Parts: sequence; C-alpha cells; structure tokens
Amino acid sequence: MKTQRNAYRKNYLLVFAFAMVLTVSLVVAMILASTLTTNKVESEFSSRKGEVLEYNLLAFNDFFQNKIPEISFYQGYLDSATASTLSDTILRNHPFVERILFYDILINNHVATQYGFAANNLVIYPIGVYEFSLREDNDVIRDVKLHFDHQRRRHTSIDLSDFNNMAFKFSSFLERVDTNRVAYGDEVFRVFYSVTPGKISYMNIPRNDDLKTYKELMDNSNEQQTSYEQDMFTFIINPNNLKLENPVPELYQHVEIVPLVYDNVNLSPDLMVTEAPMPGAMADHKILLSSSRTFLASEINGRLYPIMGGILLIYLFLIMFAYLIYRNLFINQRMYKLQYDFINNLTHEFKTPVSVIKIAGNNISNAKELSEKERLLYGRILDQESDKLNNLMNTLLSFTQIENKSFKLKNEHVDLHEFCAKIEAATNLKYADIQLECKVEVDELFYTDPVLLGSVFQNLIDNAYKYSRPEDRYLKIHIFEQRKSVVMTFTDRGIGIEKKELEHVFKKFYRVQSQYNQQGSVGLGLAFCKELVNFMGGTIMAESEVDKGTVFTIHLPKE
Amino acid sequence: MVRKIQIGVRYFIFSVILAVGLSACDSQKTELIPVADFFSYAEKTSFRISPDGRYVSYLNVDQDQNRSIFVMDMDASDPKPVLVSDTALHVHSYFWVSDSLLLFTARLDPEEQFQIHAIDLTDRSIKPVLPPSSARVRFISPVYSNRHEVLISLNERDSTVFDVYRLDVQAGKKELIARNPGNIIRWFADLDGKLRLALASDSVQETMLYRGSEQEDFEVVMRNSFHTTVTPLGFVKDKKSHIYALSNVNRDKMSLVELDLETHKEVNLLFSHTEVDVSPGGYAKSKGSMSYAYYLTWKRDRHFLDDSARVIFEKIEEKLPGYEIRLIDESWANHRLLLNAFTDRNPGVNYYFDGQKNRLVKLSDINPGLNELELAVMRPVSFLNRDSIRLHGYLTMPNNAQRQNLPVIVYPHAGPSDRNIWGYNPEVQFFANRGYAVFQVNYRGSTGYGKEFWSAGFKEWGGKIQEDITDGVQWLIDEKIADPKRIGIFGMGFGGYSAVHAACFNSDLYACAASYGGFTNLFTHLKEIPPHLKPYLQMYYEIIGNPETESDLIKSMSPVFHSDNVQIPVFIAQGGKDSRSSVNETNQFVKKLQKRKIPVVYIVREEEGRYFRKEENLISFYEELGKFFDAHLKK
Repeated sequence: MKTQRNAYRKNYLLVFAFAMVLTVSLVVAMILASTLTTNKVESEFSSRKGEVLEYNLLAFNDFFQNKIPEISFYQGYLDSATASTLSDTILRNHPFVERILFYDILINNHVATQYGFAANNLVIYPIGVYEFSLREDNDVIRDVKLHFDHQRRRHTSIDLSDFNNMAFKFSSFLERVDTNRVAYGDEVFRVFYSVTPGKISYMNIPRNDDLKTYKELMDNSNEQQTSYEQDMFTFIINPNNLKLENPVPELYQHVEIVPLVYDNVNLSPDLMVTEAPMPGAMADHKILLSSSRTFLASEINGRLYPIMGGILLIYLFLIMFAYLIYRNLFINQRMYKLQYDFINNLTHEFKTPVSVIKIAGNNISNAKELSEKERLLYGRILDQESDKLNNLMNTLLSFTQIENKSFKLKNEHVDLHEFCAKIEAATNLKYADIQLECKVEVDELFYTDPVLLGSVFQNLIDNAYKYSRPEDRYLKIHIFEQRKSVVMTFTDRGIGIEKKELEHVFKKFYRVQSQYNQQGSVGLGLAFCKELVNFMGGTIMAESEVDKGTVFTIHLPKE
Repeated sequence: MVRKIQIGVRYFIFSVILAVGLSACDSQKTELIPVADFFSYAEKTSFRISPDGRYVSYLNVDQDQNRSIFVMDMDASDPKPVLVSDTALHVHSYFWVSDSLLLFTARLDPEEQFQIHAIDLTDRSIKPVLPPSSARVRFISPVYSNRHEVLISLNERDSTVFDVYRLDVQAGKKELIARNPGNIIRWFADLDGKLRLALASDSVQETMLYRGSEQEDFEVVMRNSFHTTVTPLGFVKDKKSHIYALSNVNRDKMSLVELDLETHKEVNLLFSHTEVDVSPGGYAKSKGSMSYAYYLTWKRDRHFLDDSARVIFEKIEEKLPGYEIRLIDESWANHRLLLNAFTDRNPGVNYYFDGQKNRLVKLSDINPGLNELELAVMRPVSFLNRDSIRLHGYLTMPNNAQRQNLPVIVYPHAGPSDRNIWGYNPEVQFFANRGYAVFQVNYRGSTGYGKEFWSAGFKEWGGKIQEDITDGVQWLIDEKIADPKRIGIFGMGFGGYSAVHAACFNSDLYACAASYGGFTNLFTHLKEIPPHLKPYLQMYYEIIGNPETESDLIKSMSPVFHSDNVQIPVFIAQGGKDSRSSVNETNQFVKKLQKRKIPVVYIVREEEGRYFRKEENLISFYEELGKFFDAHLKK
C-alpha cells in the first residue's frame, strides 16, 4: 500500500465529483440569475417612475424656479406692453402655460377704490388686468379685462379672487414683517407665490426698503401721498399640454398624463401599471405608466442573456484550466515513465559489459594457467567491454551537456573533401563489411565545429550499419550546396522505418522494436544527432520505406 | 596674534560683503505686505489751524475709538501736543471760533445726546454752551466773526432740515437767523459773519439764494439743472455782492469765475483749463481772495492768482520735492498752512508750514506702517478709444517684475460720476504688491473732463462706458503689457457692476471678474429712489434709462437677466443692507451660475451696507479677493 502512495494514481471518482459540482453550480447560477433579473426589472418598473416624472418636469421646474422669479427683477416696472412681450416668450416656450393673467398693481395711501383691497391706510388695487393666451395660429392675443384710464374705467366681467387672495396675504405679511431682516427664505415662498392645482400666482418681491415704506404707509395716515407699482401674474397651467417623453423606454410601454381621479377600468391581468402623482400646480394630475408582461419579459431576457453568457464564459475558463492542469500532470507522468524506462535500459546496458568483464575476471582468476589463445581472448573481451562502457558514458555525458547548453561551439574552417576522406578511412577501419560512398560537391571551406559534425556522421554511420542486413551494408553520403545552406544526405539500403514510427525516431530513449537492436542500443543515437544539429543551427529530417532503406537529410547554414 | 587678527578682519569683510549680497538678492523679491497694512487708518485726524496760525489742533483716536482734542503751540521751539478736551467726553467734531476759543460737540457715551462745549485756551477751561439735545450740529464757515459769536446750523425744529442760529458762546445763547424752508442744503456767511448766501436743491435743480443783508429776504439768483453746476467758494473782499465760484454755465468745463449776485452776472473769468474742470480749493477765507485755481490733469496742479501764495508753495516744494501738496487748513493772512504731502506710494504726511520762518514741522503719518519702497509706481497713460476720443487713465506695474505679458487687474472706478486720480490707493497697491498690473481708466461718464464727456455716459452704462473699458484693455494687450489670458476685472459699486457686466458680455476678454457692492439689476437700482421725488427720478431716468418706457434697455444692461452668458469665474461680495441691490436677486444670480458649474465665490455680510465697515469683514474680504485672483490669474 505504501508504495502506491508514491506512485502515479488516477482517481476517477474525484474527476466525476468535480464534474458534478461544476454542473450543479452552473445550473444553480443560471436559475439564480434568472430570478434576480426578473425581480430587478419588476422593482425597477415601480421605482423608476420618479425618473420619468423628474425628466418631464424639467421644463416646468425651470419655468417655476427660474422664469417666475425673474418677474421680481423688473421691480414692479412692468406695464401691459412689456408684460405682453414677457408673456409671449413664456407662452411660446412653455406650452403647459395655457393663459397668463397680468395684474398691474398700484399700492398707495390715498385712493379709495371698489376694485381693490385696503388695509389701514394702504390701498392695493389693480389699475389694469390683462389676459394673454396663444391662439391656434400661434399669435399671442391680449384681452383687456380691466383698465383704469384716468377717470374712465372699462372692464369685462372678471374674477379678482386671485388678486384678492394675494393682496390679503401680502398685507398680512406687511403687518407682521420685521423689515430689519435681510432675506425671508420660506416666507417669501408662502407670501409671494400662490400655488393651487392648475394655477400659479406670483407677485414681484419688493426690496427691503420698499417693504419698510409700505409698512409705514400702512401704519401712518399722515405720510406724503405717494404710490408704488407692483406686478402680479397668474399662470393658468394645463398639464395635458406638457410634452410627455419617456426617458426609460425599455421599462415603460405607455406613458400618459391623466387626472388624479382617473381609474383604469379595463385592467387586463397582462398589464402592469404604476403611477406618479405630479407636484404643485399640476397636483390634480398624475403620470400613468404601463407595460404588458410580454414587453417586460423581453426586457428581462434582454438583460438575462449577457449575464448567462458571462456565467458560461466563466465555466468555460474553469474547464479549460482543469484540462490544462490535467495535461500538465499527464506529461509529467510520461516523463516519469520515460526516465523509469531509461534507468531500466541503462542498467541493462551497463550490466551486460560489467557481467562479461566480471565473468572474464573470474575465469582468469580461476584458471590454473592461461593458454596464449585464452589470454588474447580475455584481453580482447576486457578491452572491448570497457570500450563499450566508456562509449556509453561519453554519450550520456555529452548528451546532458548539449541539452543543458553548457557546451560551446568551436567553429573552424573545414574542407569537406578532407573531412569526408578521414571519415571514410575511419569507417573502413571500424566496419570492414560496409560499402561507403562519399560524394562531396562543396569546394569552399565550411565554417563549423568539426568534432560535433564528426559525431553526427559517426552516429548516422553506426545507425546505417546497425540497421542493415549483414549482406547488404551500404551507405551513400552526398554533400551539396542549396542556397545558403549545406545539405548532407545519408542514404542506406537498410530495413527502413515504419511510417508511424518515423515521427518518434528523434525522441530520447525511443527505440524501434526490432531484431537489430537487441543489444547495445539505448535509443539515444538519433536524439543526440538531432540535438547536435539543432545546436549548430541546422535541421535533420528522416524519410524511409520499409525494407528499401532510409534517407536522413541534414541542412546546415553556411554562416 | 597679529596674523590671527588679520584673518579675522578679512573674514569679517568677506562676511559683510556676503551679507550685503544676500540682502540685495532678497530685495529682488517683493515681500507680501499683510492686507491690514494697506487699509489701516490714521490715529490723528481732523487737523485744523487756529485763525492766527499759532495753534494746530487735531483729534486723537485711541484704541477704543475714543476721540479727544489735542492742541500744539507752534510758536514753541519744540511743539508738544496737549490734551485740551475731557477724556470722559467722546468728541464728535470741533472747530476754532477765535485764536483762543474752540467749540466741540461731544457726548458722554454712545447712548447719550450730543452737547456743544467750549474750550478757552487761555485758562484751559471746558464749559457746556448749550444743553444736551438730539439735534445735530453743523458749523458754517467762515466763522471768525466776532470773538465769541459763531454761526451754526441745527436740525432742532425738524430732523430733516437745518436752521441757522447765531450762537453767543460766552452767554450760552442762540438766536435763529434763518429758517430753512426745507430745501436749503448749504449756507454761506460773508467775511463779516453775516449769513447772505444759500444753496437750495431738490436733488436735481440747484437754486442759489442771496440777500444784501440779514434783514432782507433771500432772493433767487439762479437756477441750474443737474447738467450745469455753480459752486460758490466764498465772498470777495470789499465787494459786497461778489463771490468766487466754479461754474460751467454756458461752457463745457468748470471754470473759476467772479459772480455779481446783484446783477446776476458773471463779471470775471479768472481761470479756465482747456482739458479739465477747475476743482474747489484755493479760497483764502482769512483774506477773502483766491490764492490759486486748483485743477486735476493726470495730477494736481495750481494756477496761482496771488504771488505770495506762489512764493510760499515754491518754498514748500523745495522742501518736499516730488510730493503732491494738499492744503488741509490755512491762515494765509499769517502765512501759516497745514498741508498734507503725498505720492502714489505714500498715503501722506501732515505738515505745518510757517512761511515767514520758512519752517516745516512734521505732524503725523497717515499710514506709517507702509514702506514707500515696497509699493508700486502709478503712472498716467492715455489712449484713443474706438470713437477716437482720447481717454486718460493710470497703470500701476508691480515692482521687480518684467514690463511685459503681465497679469492685469482692470479696476474701473465707482460712480460712474467720479474719476480716478493720481495718489495712494490702497486697493491698487494691494493688487500691485501681489504681482498684478492695475489698470484704471476714466471712461466716458467720468467727471472732471467737462459736461460733454460726463453726459456722454448717460444711458450708456452697458454701452459706451463698457466699450471704453474694453478699449483700454485692448490697448494694454496691443502694447504687450497685458497677458491676454490673464486679465481680471474688479470694481466697487458701479465698478462692480462693470465687472459683472464684463462677466456676462465679455467672457472672452477676461479670465475672471470680481464685484464688491456692485449692482446686478438696474431696475432695483432705480427702485431705490422714492417715487414722489419726481425730479430726482427724472434725473436718474436721464442718466440710466426709464424703467417703464425703456425697460428693454434696462433689461439689456442688467446682468441679473444674463447669467446664462457668464463663462468665467465670478467673485461677488455684498452687504445685506445695500439699498441699491437686493440679496435675494444676487442669491438667484449666484445660484444660476452654480447650477451651470461656473466657479463662484460669494460673500454676504448681512449686517453691512454696500461697502463693509467692520475691520474683520474688510480684512477677510480682501484676503478672499486676493486668493480669488491668485487662483485664476496665476496659472
């Protein structure tokens, strides 16, 4: 059991559990997203009506907060002509103002009038009342409701309740006001504005000194005869003329202004309805907002899809990471196996010569005496086997060096004719039964590391020798120039390599299963060659046909 | 030992050179003068000279704002101030009755009523002359009638009108000698102390009244609308019905003339200047003659009519070269004068001068805390505006700065019926000390350059007046003095209105605008005039515009209607009790700017009028103002 702990394991239960958790959490996330989005859209449907209200009241608020107080700037100096131009701009720019009534007011201490309001000595009365409205052909018409012209007075029937109301509020304000104060804040709003549904009345706010004067006029009967002008406007507001716009079209299908008491009778269950009451002068109306459920459902879907997409993307990443981690583990596992095989092979490779040497040693020491023939035999055996060991170790060592790049190229100019002649001589000495043919078509000196190149040649020659039938050991080396590189081909008539094996022959510790390499092969030769060629900046390729032979092609750059 | 000393000396010399070098470097950089230093007020005020010129008197204001009278005997070799009033009494005003008699009004504490007291310098006694009363006292000059008789005016009968009484100081009795029908604003006594000339006004039309003796009734001599002015200076000696006066009747510039009030004719043109008005001044009350005519070009100038006065002024100018001399009080008959000498960089020093002994005695500094060398030079400039009219102004460059490409603060004067003059100006020096060039221009509508120039500003508050200011700035840019990207505008009253107007209609030219007690709405400005004062109202309608018939003009000139045009940072300071502006309106103006994300600094002091009086309010206002300009003009 203990050994298993250190070995590589595959736990399918774990993989399955992981997949399960992944799936379940994905489903839960999807359901949750759907529910939350639905809830959010529905709550927004009832909460964002404020936004609609605010948006549509922008023009009205600007009128109420900026345009109306501007009347005060004229300080009571307005007459019917200037009031007419003022009304003109207001009527044209603010369609919700249906009509404007302008009261040209006189405040004095000496006139008795039946059209007015008297408080102690102070008389407040209109010397003119004019109505302005926009005709259908876009012309402003002025209707004189009341006009004092020295003695004569002409008037149509007129309701002065707005004026009386304002005059009453103003005079009672005068009675209690402390004129030493600088600003009146809220009180200004209570006195000089009068807001009722459908109507806003406003009188210009007098300066502090004027208030003081009015107060004196009110309290003292023996003041000098004098009169002051005030201006009052009544704006008749029709909310139905408010241009309604829908700033949240994704939530509300229909937006309309209806009277406050309006009740929707044909309420289908498919229709969702919410309402926002309007403030101030429009308080008798409300904004009704409605949407069908299918409309909302499409909005919900519209919001849900990107969320779902996001969740899926996250899971996709998760799965990808899991796969990458798995692949990493798998590769490590293969490396581990390769190294394991390598040690097995190597042990075997070392064991054979070592045991031969050991047997030879035993035989020598056990023999009473050695014949001349025996001594030569054992000598040769010891010599051969220790060479084998040495070779093995050298290959291993240089291979690790090249792999770790702890090796430097020692380039020099090499005459390839001379180089090949040396190789040919050495090979013929080593393998008497090989038929080697060298054809060199490069005359220039080639700048390379001759030792490494020699190593490559040696390995490929060894390979050709090893994988050829003893009766047909043939190798043709052809060296020629191709553009900027030198090409070397090694053509043998050996047993060849199967196609599916071909791509693996340059891998470390890979051996083609064959009768020709039963002893003395580690699977490093070609891998070593490839490393060397790559190290020199070139490439190596193999082409092969089974039972016909193999061609190795090396491309090395000239520079 | 000797060698060591030598080294020591060398080291000493070296370190002295080093120190001098360092301090020279320091002086290259102008030190910031604290705000309060520019606006501090003198401790000694109301300097006067006794009729014989022997004594100099003044009011000393102590830390608790208690005012008491000091007198110096200038005949003493080392004149020392001597307290002559009672420290328990808070002196309001005082004047000389005779060479040894002083009258003053005072009260025991601010809740009490005023009372007239007399000081006899011979025995230093103080005695009340009249019982305490709520009436206010005005002294009528010249007053040297008799050893113990004096003319005063009191508003005893009606708080709005001043009647004239002859007060016997010794007996403590007063006798009514002229009853004010309600419209008399100034009274004049002749050289014998008889009340024979009066000026009546309904705020627009001035009427001159004259009588041959106190037994006769006043008769109307002339009436002048507000376009023309006649200012009496004093009676002519030995010619009973002749007076000296400044008049622009039938001419453009105010000129010094002699009028015969019997025949209602101008008998003599004494002096007239081609470019500017003659200003009041130069009448020697102790002689009954004109010493000189006084006029202001880019600086003050005198045309001498009396050779002895010329000699005395030459002597003074010899002793005070480079200074402008302002006469505070005089005893010409005895060649003794009280003067104030000042420059653009010196708020002024008060001197006593004895012409006979050629002795100049320094009395006090107006603002001793300021160092002349740290202040900036104010120089006159002139340029042609777009209508080819030559305009005059002043340019004050900061010290130790390049002469080109400067940040500029344009400082239009208040009024607009006023003008800039050469001399120490605390705001100008405050800005210059903080590194700004200050530009002042006498735009059309300014006074001092004649009737035509003045009336060219009528109904042009938002028009030609502003064009003139703009043309001035353009001239500064063309002269490469101003950095076109760093020009700010600041003003008080009408100047503040100009600044806000510039913010509305000239946002391209200015980088920022600051208004102190400026008007934002001319409707409100006109509303200040009570409607029953019809002539006064008419005058304003002529100067500014009629709010009823010309409401479009008034609207186009009033910044409060045009806040949407403002593109530059704005600074507004306003007192809550400013009768010509309404805080409610300014609030709205500011709110609209804030809504449009325009940077606004808004200072409201509810307890203050148009201009701040409390010292802490003033100081903090100027500090904020300095910060505002630093933030927007020193980028």
